[in-house]
Amino acid sequence: MGTLGRAVYTVGFWIRETGQALDRLGCRLQGNYYFQEQLSRHRTLMNIFDKAPAVDKDAFVAPSASIIGDVQVGRGSSIWYGCVLRGDVNSISVGSGTNIQDNSLVHVAKSNLSGKVLPTIIGDNVTVGHSAVLHGCTVEDDAFVGMGATLLDGVVVERHGMVAAGSLVRQNTRIPSGEVWGGNPAKFLRKLTDEEITFISQSATNYSNLAQVHAAENSKPFDEIEFEKVLRKKFAHRDEEYDSMLGVVRETPPEIILPDNIKDPKASQK
Amino acid sequence: MAALARITRKAMINTLSPGHVIQRALSTSAAATTTTTAGAKTITPSADRVKWDYRGQRQIIPLGQWLPKVAVDAYVAPNVVLAGQVTVCDGASVWAGSVLRGDLNKITVGFCSNVQERCVIHAAWSSPTGLPAETSIERFVTIGAYSLLRSCTIEPECIIGQHSILMEGSLVETHSILEAGSLVPPGRRIPTGELWAGNPARFVRTLTHEETLEIPKLAVAINDLSKSHFSEFLPYSTVYLEVEKFKKNLGISI
Repeated sequence: MGTLGRAVYTVGFWIRETGQALDRLGCRLQGNYYFQEQLSRHRTLMNIFDKAPAVDKDAFVAPSASIIGDVQVGRGSSIWYGCVLRGDVNSISVGSGTNIQDNSLVHVAKSNLSGKVLPTIIGDNVTVGHSAVLHGCTVEDDAFVGMGATLLDGVVVERHGMVAAGSLVRQNTRIPSGEVWGGNPAKFLRKLTDEEITFISQSATNYSNLAQVHAAENSKPFDEIEFEKVLRKKFAHRDEEYDSMLGVVRETPPEIILPDNIKDPKASQK
Repeated sequence: MAALARITRKAMINTLSPGHVIQRALSTSAAATTTTTAGAKTITPSADRVKWDYRGQRQIIPLGQWLPKVAVDAYVAPNVVLAGQVTVCDGASVWAGSVLRGDLNKITVGFCSNVQERCVIHAAWSSPTGLPAETSIERFVTIGAYSLLRSCTIEPECIIGQHSILMEGSLVETHSILEAGSLVPPGRRIPTGELWAGNPARFVRTLTHEETLEIPKLAVAINDLSKSHFSEFLPYSTVYLEVEKFKKNLGISI
């Protein structure tokens, strides 16, 4: 930095100080109603004394999710925005390839009280829909819990079982394999077709692919975000089809191309 | 007493910390051995995973070239997550704790509509009906708290009650009201000017003319409320000063 640069830097520093003084003055004038913003104190992974969560390196945990206490999250799982997995009184284990979608809550019942021990166990490739509430229950592999469903204590959803959206499953219910239960309280509705069973496993893999994209985006440092913002602005008004019509080949930078796994598998087959 | 407690706690942590690691390793290996019967899975935690991100959750998450767009006049609460192809039009408001995730398809929140607390709006790849699978919420729509919307179309001037669930490909036509806690199954169409309720949603009655006139008024009232919230937030937050101070304290160059 030359002498001029140093001088400009110093002047900039003075002006910033003046600005901060003005800011403080404004805050003082606003008095008690003023709220000073603070750094985010939200903890994505938090331990309760010695119970620390164990999250696999390939799992996606959204920064706004909170995983508290004795929680194990397996490979390729995804915990989406605003989820709460609170394993403070007992353990929660989430298998591999499972997705727990936005704003869901997983909690456990009190441990070792009158001989009842109810950890929450979620198996592999399970899809738990948005805003579901899972309380002290067992969800086996390849099961499906629909949007807004509530599973109370001691519920067991067997392999390939399905809980329809918006249903409330009462205490100690067992949802047998390959059945759909729904309503409030949940009742047997019908058998699952083979097509739907394949759809459930498909949706789990789709979600784990999608999670990778979100994980990459959410873990970016500040410089990278700014850089991509500029890139996006620069390439925003360039359309591939339009360019090919003109016979121009322009490269879109790899940073702002989405990986294939976010696209519709059916569309890409066509 | 408090000091004593602190000392003992510190001592415990000090003595435990190497043992604690072993214990953790043991517990994971124990978990691994118990689950080998179900299918070999092991949890390998990575040291790079952040437990605390000082930036918190970003409000706007671009995916590839999809950048969520928020109109200058719209109010989006600070802890809302907008990801992918999301458009929030003029005068719309998205309240605290909502998640609008347009990673598979488009989501539009129209003029003067509002999405209230802790809603989740998502879009699927394809809908069972022939309709496009995007979630579109048109003008003067009120969506109650805790609602879940997935690939549905809501035409102008509707009210969706609290805790209601709209599944893939459902269509709510103009001037309809869904009561609180209703569930609209996939591909269901709710005709114009009717009140529906229940799980699954059933027809209750047709709306009177006065009620249909009330619907946009409610949306405008919530829009007014959102303006007062909007004016509370300055265009730039002053957290960067906190970050600078923090980094200076820790001796990290900015």
